[in-house]
Amino acid sequence: MTKNRLYIAIAGLLIFTSCGEDYLKTHSYTELNESTFYNTPTDAYNGLVGVYDGFQRMYSAAFAVPTITEVFSDNAFGGGGAADGYGGQLMDEFDQQRSPSDIKIIEDDWINYYAGIFRCNALLGNLDRVKWAGADTLKNQYAAEARVMRAIAYLDLVRLFENVVLLDKPSSENLPQANPDDVYKLIADDLVFAIQNLPAVPYAKQVPAQHGRITKWAAEALLARAFLFYTGYYGKADLAGVTKQQVLDNLEDLIQHSGHDLVPDFATLWPAASGANYAGERNIENILNIKATYTGNYNGDMDGNQWMVMFGLRDGNYPPYGQGWGFGTVNPKLWNAYSDQDTRKVASIISIADENLTAAGFGNGGQREYTGYYTKKYTPMSSLVNGVAKGLAEQLGGVNFQIGQYQDFIMVRYADVLLMAAELGSANAQSYFDKVRQRAYKTNFSSIPVTPDNIMTERRLEFAGEGIRYWDLLRQGVNVAAATIAETDTPVLSGGVSAKVTIKAENIISKRGFQQIPNTQITLSNSVLKQNPGW
Amino acid sequence: MKMKRIYNRLCLASVFFLVTFAVSAQRKVVTGTVTDGTGSPLPGVNVIIKGTVTGTVTDSNGAFSIEAGENDVITTSFIGFKPKEVPVGAQTKIDIVMEEDIATLSEVVVIGYGEQKKILNTGANLQVKGEDLQKLSTNNTLQALQGQTPGVQITTGSGQPGSAVRVVIRGQGTINGSGPLYVVDGVLMTDINFLSPSDIESIDVLKDAASAAIYGSQGASGVIIVTTKKGKGAGKSQLTFDAFYGVQNVARKMPMLNAEQYAVIMNEAAVNSGGQPIFNDSQMTAIANGATDWSNPRLDNSQIKAMHGGTNWLDKMFVKNAPTQSYAVGLTGGSENSTYSSGLSYQSQAGIIGGRGNSYYERYNFRFNSDHKLYGDILRFGQTLNFAYTQNNGIQTGGIYGSSVLPAMGASPFLPMYDSLGNFWDNSLSKWLPGEANPYAQMVESNQNRNFSQRIVGNVYFEVQPISRLKYKTMLSIDASSNDSHTFTPVYKLSQYSFNDTTRVSQNMGRGRNLIWDNTINYSFNLNNDHHFEVMAGTSAIYGTGVSMYGANYNLAFNTLENAWLSNALNKTKANRMTINGGENDDNKVLSYYGRLHYNFRETYLLNMTFRADASSNFAAGHRWGYFPSVSAGWVLTNERFMESARNIFDNLKLRASWGQVGNRNIPSFRYLSPMTYSGGAYPFGASEGSVTPGAYQSRLSNPYVKWETSEQTDIGFDARMLGGKVNVAFDWYKKITKDWLTRSPVVATAGADAPWINAGSVNNTGIELMISYSNQIGDLRYTVSANGAHNVNKVTQIPTFDGTIHGETNVLFVNADEFYRAQSGYPMGYFYGLKTNGIFQTQEDVLNYTDKDGKVIQPTAKPGDLRYVDTNGNGVIDANDRTMIGNPNPTYIFGLNIQLSYKAFDFALVGNGVTGNDIAQSYRNPGGYQNYTRYILDRWHGPGTSNTVPRVDLEGTNWAKFSDIYLQKGDYFRISNVTLGYDFSKLMKVKAFSQLRLYASALNLFTFTKYNGMDPEVGYGNNANSTSNSNINTGTNPTAYSSGIDLGYYPRPRTFLIGLNVKF
Repeated sequence: MTKNRLYIAIAGLLIFTSCGEDYLKTHSYTELNESTFYNTPTDAYNGLVGVYDGFQRMYSAAFAVPTITEVFSDNAFGGGGAADGYGGQLMDEFDQQRSPSDIKIIEDDWINYYAGIFRCNALLGNLDRVKWAGADTLKNQYAAEARVMRAIAYLDLVRLFENVVLLDKPSSENLPQANPDDVYKLIADDLVFAIQNLPAVPYAKQVPAQHGRITKWAAEALLARAFLFYTGYYGKADLAGVTKQQVLDNLEDLIQHSGHDLVPDFATLWPAASGANYAGERNIENILNIKATYTGNYNGDMDGNQWMVMFGLRDGNYPPYGQGWGFGTVNPKLWNAYSDQDTRKVASIISIADENLTAAGFGNGGQREYTGYYTKKYTPMSSLVNGVAKGLAEQLGGVNFQIGQYQDFIMVRYADVLLMAAELGSANAQSYFDKVRQRAYKTNFSSIPVTPDNIMTERRLEFAGEGIRYWDLLRQGVNVAAATIAETDTPVLSGGVSAKVTIKAENIISKRGFQQIPNTQITLSNSVLKQNPGW
Repeated sequence: MKMKRIYNRLCLASVFFLVTFAVSAQRKVVTGTVTDGTGSPLPGVNVIIKGTVTGTVTDSNGAFSIEAGENDVITTSFIGFKPKEVPVGAQTKIDIVMEEDIATLSEVVVIGYGEQKKILNTGANLQVKGEDLQKLSTNNTLQALQGQTPGVQITTGSGQPGSAVRVVIRGQGTINGSGPLYVVDGVLMTDINFLSPSDIESIDVLKDAASAAIYGSQGASGVIIVTTKKGKGAGKSQLTFDAFYGVQNVARKMPMLNAEQYAVIMNEAAVNSGGQPIFNDSQMTAIANGATDWSNPRLDNSQIKAMHGGTNWLDKMFVKNAPTQSYAVGLTGGSENSTYSSGLSYQSQAGIIGGRGNSYYERYNFRFNSDHKLYGDILRFGQTLNFAYTQNNGIQTGGIYGSSVLPAMGASPFLPMYDSLGNFWDNSLSKWLPGEANPYAQMVESNQNRNFSQRIVGNVYFEVQPISRLKYKTMLSIDASSNDSHTFTPVYKLSQYSFNDTTRVSQNMGRGRNLIWDNTINYSFNLNNDHHFEVMAGTSAIYGTGVSMYGANYNLAFNTLENAWLSNALNKTKANRMTINGGENDDNKVLSYYGRLHYNFRETYLLNMTFRADASSNFAAGHRWGYFPSVSAGWVLTNERFMESARNIFDNLKLRASWGQVGNRNIPSFRYLSPMTYSGGAYPFGASEGSVTPGAYQSRLSNPYVKWETSEQTDIGFDARMLGGKVNVAFDWYKKITKDWLTRSPVVATAGADAPWINAGSVNNTGIELMISYSNQIGDLRYTVSANGAHNVNKVTQIPTFDGTIHGETNVLFVNADEFYRAQSGYPMGYFYGLKTNGIFQTQEDVLNYTDKDGKVIQPTAKPGDLRYVDTNGNGVIDANDRTMIGNPNPTYIFGLNIQLSYKAFDFALVGNGVTGNDIAQSYRNPGGYQNYTRYILDRWHGPGTSNTVPRVDLEGTNWAKFSDIYLQKGDYFRISNVTLGYDFSKLMKVKAFSQLRLYASALNLFTFTKYNGMDPEVGYGNNANSTSNSNINTGTNPTAYSSGIDLGYYPRPRTFLIGLNVKF
């Protein structure tokens, strides 16, 4: 009896212990992982969409490239709220002393770009695992799209920071910064690959539901953009073996075969400037948009154009304009640079006085570096609902105006292609140049010669507010850029009180026009990453 | 129960002994009853005539009858009680009240999967009785432990009711914030917030690795074993009722600038920044007089006049006399074969910030424990059950984002509370800081929530003793919980930034379940009577799972929190404004084998060994198993002949030494893989707005090699009991090495995805602990004084990241703040990292005279009034490379003091605790700008000679933008945490309806001795909030939870005055 009880006890233990390792096998109920993912072309497509999302996130910070490059340039001042920190002024004046604590001011961009590059590299590295079943064209197309996004990321990074880490596959190693020449080489290779592998689908045959996909035409235009900056800033003859003639040939190909053209009326490119006449985000002129819509939320879905809020009027909703943070107040010099005959003037810039917004209640008390001018191309919008001004983003269903802005950023449009082709010495340079100006001046048009200076002046007027001006200045050399951007005691109002903006050329020159490497990243790398000179 | 059996056996033995040798003489018969301090009869007490072997034992009613002479002295002795002597004299009836003796030699301590006589225990354990905790009148069990347990640092998470308590045993060993393992009646868990102090019988803290090693993979941060009240056996039925009610107030409020002082400082800051004064002379005069509309067109003169120096926002935030209360009924009893213990309690506490509507906690607890014997000693079964129902609501505290306290310190005194209609003030059209929101309104509007949770912790066990001394026990435990919460956000507009356009609701539900099946087999035997062996082997399986669901929507049909449910949301079309999430948690499974050997030779030479093997599903196959051995030994010196001469000093002296390894498996599952995430991967292709195409991406880097964290500890100590039990001393020295921390370290951004989990780094904690108590009696005055202290040195020894550092997060101390705490080889965990200062430049000459060895001016751009930074690397410039260790948030000493007095029916207690050697980083505002300051800014530099410690003010925050030692203060404090005076009316009463009827009054947190100028030096906040978006770290076990001592507008612990009642029938 006693023994039996003992056996039962021991048996109890043994039954239990026989479960063993099988017991420990678990699987996730809610998550896929990388070892089981890249199987089918559908997986690859989902991965490609994830890359596009990463591409969008590169432009999701408040201080994203479209906003900060306007502030770097002579187009705009730091602005912001009268009681805000002085980060905007630091960027505008290239002066760390303006805000000593901002030692990683555009770290969000650095992080977002590398997160985007990681997604490109992760997809590129896994495409071979997918069972394509003969659909190799599709594979190459996905690869080309991912490589264009990688090229865009590196072109922004290298122009912002110059000395950046170069990755063509995922790595969590602590890598030093690469020679900028090698970065441009990767950009050129990626874009050339894309030009060779993307199908030449003219605008009219593109599928509207796929709007936002990268096309061969976008790659051709971006190659020219990279070429012009690299050869300009560094005084090189070619871009990693890509010659000026090749670049020009690509642009001529685009002009002849893409089906893209200018929209007839400049203002219709911009919703706030054209109202009901808006040409829409998908129009014949836009070659590459970074898509945005109002569906974003605070649970990780970032679909909105968050940087655009920075440009908005600080004080509230004044239809058709919506509330923003008054960052990047427009320099009066830019307003004055336009002739009154130029239709781009009022399509590009909000003039508080000329549009009589003060009468509507607009006040500048909360605004720093108020100039009376704001960017119109990218600005939140509002309209009256039962007599109360409400943001359009919220009206459409956005969570709020800060994350609900749905206007796409136009990364490449046809006017840029025409002006780049003219600058690169197209045989049709004069007609391309005239075409852009004709649209701007309409009946008041009179032709002027297509000189480099005239092209540069025209680019300033055509692309104001579009994040292009600073690179155009810098590629003429840092001295030209610094001299153009410098300001001496320019009067503004900060918190309603007279103040002055002073930008010293030497601050820009000492930094060679580049930005600080985020200090956090330098410390994380144990100083394997080196700070840029001047910072 | 085991204790009870030991009593019985000892009693039986003594009966036999005494009866056999009893001699009869010429005597009278003396009868009487022996009771304990509460009036309960004590059965089985030895009653002996002093100096003889004549004696008897009390029966089940505590009664005895003995023959004695008039000159005899009756002595009574009983395990767990102090011996008592009563001269017989002329008496024939003698009732004896015995006093409990907590520190008797036969005291039993609770160890992993069992109990052990304290005298035989070789670990560094510590037991606190439940009744000692209950005397402290707290609603939180762990808070009551504060100051009672040397080597255990207990810090209140915040003064908010129901907030968690941070427990660190013997210094921070791990970086990922793992607290100790709690074992409640055998059920393993990570927190015991749900328990009512009234249900607790005892708490045993296992501090050394040898004691904790039986829990293997979960004991790396120490083990706290909680035993809930059990029935006491035959004749001990008892009904108890305990209650207290108190009011709470803020103990120390931060003094902020009033309107006039604020205006002066703002003017000065503007001028120091090269601008004009903001307010001109007439405005200043007006502000001083409190009567002008200098600022806001919507504020009329009478309102400004009524401001009297502006709004003191902290006054608005704190409520007066917030109630706290507790009621508990307990019932225990049973028969010889069956015992039970049951309890029902209710506790509630309102917060001193915002009061009940904003910050509140209440809890109902129910307990039923029983134990039954069948077929003699062969079969035993029983069950424990603890149920808790909790309801709470709270505000956010701690960090700089979302906190309700911090904005109240930064808000300008100009800002009014209400507009002329009595609504919360909307500041968005103000001319002064239109972005600044009414902080009280912000708290009320954005913290409308109710949380409910239910939890059942319990088990059923069977124990079979098939042959003598062999016990097999199987126990199935469950820890099941469910919770639900909902929030409501009304429409409001308080400033340009603080607004909500449409009502919002969110609703959250979840359940979790942890099943544990333990099987143990125990066998004890003796060899030659001198060698005693006890072996135990066991297995354990843990299976944890749960599901959760979350929904949010907007535009509600109703406008109150109580109607805020998803069904009442009117939005049906705008998908992005609805959120629906839900899923099953990944399974958490653990499989374990363990064994233990206790050996002793004549209870003099002691040896204990344990071994545990654990496998966890958290790790990849091949890295699942961890092995955790321990060995400990003890030597009871007082049993040796050579100590006989010292017996008049030492009742008992035991030396002990131990070594062991324990583990930590605390990471979420599947961290060895890289997940493909769809959430947040979509892109809005297409020409129309509002639709997105789903996409996926790898969101986290994988680490297939991630494995256990291991903690290894050596402990040497002694326990001594001296002078007839009057003096008790326990001493321990330890060295704890924790290696292979499970953590995530921020990775370089070029890695492109969230940081992987890694095994990184090790830390040493070395320290000593001492506890001394002295008890004595002068006439009717009995007293006990006990003091304890611990000294710990924490040093990180190795970190295998690129730069040997795990960086602290940025944006913690203020917006845009750089990292200021970190874990780095050679330094204490979470040490403060910044610039050293050396006074303030009084004049321009001072600036020019501050040169390096080559005569180069070190701070050429500094102005008089700026900080003089120390050029620690001597390179002639002040930059990030001059940062160094400027403070340590870890205390070097923690200590406690406990005084108990009783005089007749009066009792008095005083409990205090404190820490020294730590620094606190304090920041209540962003550098520069227009936020309000504390009044300490009035000591700023404003001209040569005015200050050498507080720099000048300016709008850029020049002297505050870089983290330096001006942010640090000493965190030393000693707090009188409890003073209680009680009176037991049952001692006055003739009718013994009550064995206790005690009324008492207590003051909690009565006074704090400290030089720290914040509201409370006991800052339980480290940067435990979720990481900011740009840090590359997602939620999960928080990898930076090692930070501590950060005061960012802390919710202070209240000062409470309460009255209470203890009734025992």
